[in-house]
Amino acid sequence: MTEQGGSEELSRRTLFLRALTGIGAAFAAAVAIPVIGFGSAPFWRSKAPISLLSHAVTPALRSSGWTSAGNLDDFKVGEPRFVSLSREVVDGWVKGQEQVACYVLRVGDAEAIAYDHHCTHLGCPLAWSGGAKRFLCPCHGGAFDAAGKVVAGPPPRPMLTYATKIESGEIMVGSLEVGA
Amino acid sequence: MRGPMNWIDERLQISPLLRAFVDRKLPGNIGWAHTLGSATILFLIVQIATGIVLTLSYVPSPSAAYESVLYIDQTPFGALVRGVHHWSASVLVVLVALHALRVFVWASYRYPRELTWVVGALLFFVVLGFAFTGYLLPWDQKAYWATVVGTNIAGSVPFFGRQMVELLRGGPELGAVTLARFYGIHVWLLPALLVPLVAFHFFAVVRQGIAASPRRQPLVTAIPGESRRDAYQREYAAEKAAGRPFWHALMKDAIFSLVLLGGVFALTLVLGAPLEPKANPNATGYAPRPEWYFLSLFQLLWYVKGPFESLLIFGMFVIGGLVLTLVPFIDRSRERLPQRRPLAMALAGVVVVGVVGLTVIGAISSPPGVAIVPPADGMTAQQLEGLKVFNAEGCSSCHQIRGIGGTSGPDLSRAGHRWAEDAIRTQILTPKNNEMPAFDGLTPQQLDDLVVFLISMK
Repeated sequence: MTEQGGSEELSRRTLFLRALTGIGAAFAAAVAIPVIGFGSAPFWRSKAPISLLSHAVTPALRSSGWTSAGNLDDFKVGEPRFVSLSREVVDGWVKGQEQVACYVLRVGDAEAIAYDHHCTHLGCPLAWSGGAKRFLCPCHGGAFDAAGKVVAGPPPRPMLTYATKIESGEIMVGSLEVGA
Repeated sequence: MRGPMNWIDERLQISPLLRAFVDRKLPGNIGWAHTLGSATILFLIVQIATGIVLTLSYVPSPSAAYESVLYIDQTPFGALVRGVHHWSASVLVVLVALHALRVFVWASYRYPRELTWVVGALLFFVVLGFAFTGYLLPWDQKAYWATVVGTNIAGSVPFFGRQMVELLRGGPELGAVTLARFYGIHVWLLPALLVPLVAFHFFAVVRQGIAASPRRQPLVTAIPGESRRDAYQREYAAEKAAGRPFWHALMKDAIFSLVLLGGVFALTLVLGAPLEPKANPNATGYAPRPEWYFLSLFQLLWYVKGPFESLLIFGMFVIGGLVLTLVPFIDRSRERLPQRRPLAMALAGVVVVGVVGLTVIGAISSPPGVAIVPPADGMTAQQLEGLKVFNAEGCSSCHQIRGIGGTSGPDLSRAGHRWAEDAIRTQILTPKNNEMPAFDGLTPQQLDDLVVFLISMK
């Protein structure tokens, strides 16, 4: 920079650099806001309640509607059975029929419970052991009784259930009941 | 070759830089332990190269991912490329961990290399992020279930646990969005972090020079009142004067990396690239297990129990991560010899023994629910019948015998020593505690056999 006309040049230079900083910041914000917003959308769009202690999220919440699990009379009272239901599923942009499994337990003459088969600790697949009369988790020794109650291991809450109703002798399975 | 090379060099003027790089003096005692960093860089390049070609045939969608991986395996060199990518991932995790351990033991993170360590710690997390997002991609059983577990562990964040899970999965469920997300993170987001961090780390290492190994007798004597900076510069100058040019060390680097790469090819040719059956969200009886590098954490969850488990896990992650990243600012002494840093060595020892021990226990322990106790020598016919009942009724899912079975109930390896016959019989039929179900459906013969078997356990 030359000596003569210096102060005018200098103030112009300062103005330019300040303006460039402003333009740069605007440019960065214009890119960063949608980029970070889109990338983190699942976080702030989440409808999950905010709580100090988290609970495992089951991977099968997405199915909806009512599906028949079979005839109530074909189920033995007190003996859960693993059934695979063809259900209406929305998985991101994929919509269609998909097999969704659950354990169905007949508890009386006109009542049945449908259990989600994921352990409430970390979501591992539970298996019913007829001998031990327990749902057993293969990951960290969690065990639930036939009523879905935790009897051993780290699971923080009982097994999740689907809504059920009996219609003309058939067990109808609805949406997953996500309680507190 | 000389002609074209000279032509290019005249335009880029790069040979003086290369010569300076290869001929620069290193400190005196640079040995095999210093080859871990360069091997890490080489294996990152192997991962980038194999990863790029894998994307040419891979489709990140639940309906096509598994099939596209099968297709890759049938394409010429496909199984080899996928195998090298798979096994190099394991090698990288080991390399990065050992590299960090070596730097920690010799306290090479001291002035003026604090920032090199911090960036290195961030790179460690990036490598683990690659490992975690990478093995969902084949969409096989292991991939699916380990990610169900892994994302749920991420939910141990207090207050926003579920939000964290949804951030990782792209929604409440694990499905198409999750796979696309993990793919994007694995091939775009993490490399975008990796490349500048490696560049920073590498630049800092070359600019500062490799830290000299600590010496019992320093090459220069301390001058009282000398500043840390002056003392360091005097000592490092003496180290370089006693050292040899970089190209000596490069030969060790090359040999070590070549041996590792040979190992990776051998593993690929012998074991192949593992692939389990296609992911089945409706599986029962499948026992999820993570890759070995996350097995210690998975096994740890056996011992961390209670309502605040998730908070404890979160606390360990945060404190562990912060301590690891901020090591140079926590450990401010000037001492570098490991034998004069007992506290730091004890801490490193506990971490190493803990991680290795948990990994080994996790690898050899049989998953509960599927354990079958084998017969032992010298058992009578009735005891063998009892063992059959024991296995058939699923007793081993809660009880251990000779190290096989679950641990949620008491170990029965010495049942006959601990309880009387009557007590065992009563406990089976009408359990005192409600954790154990009543096995009142057994025939009298089955019950007798089972009791005879159990009291023979002494």
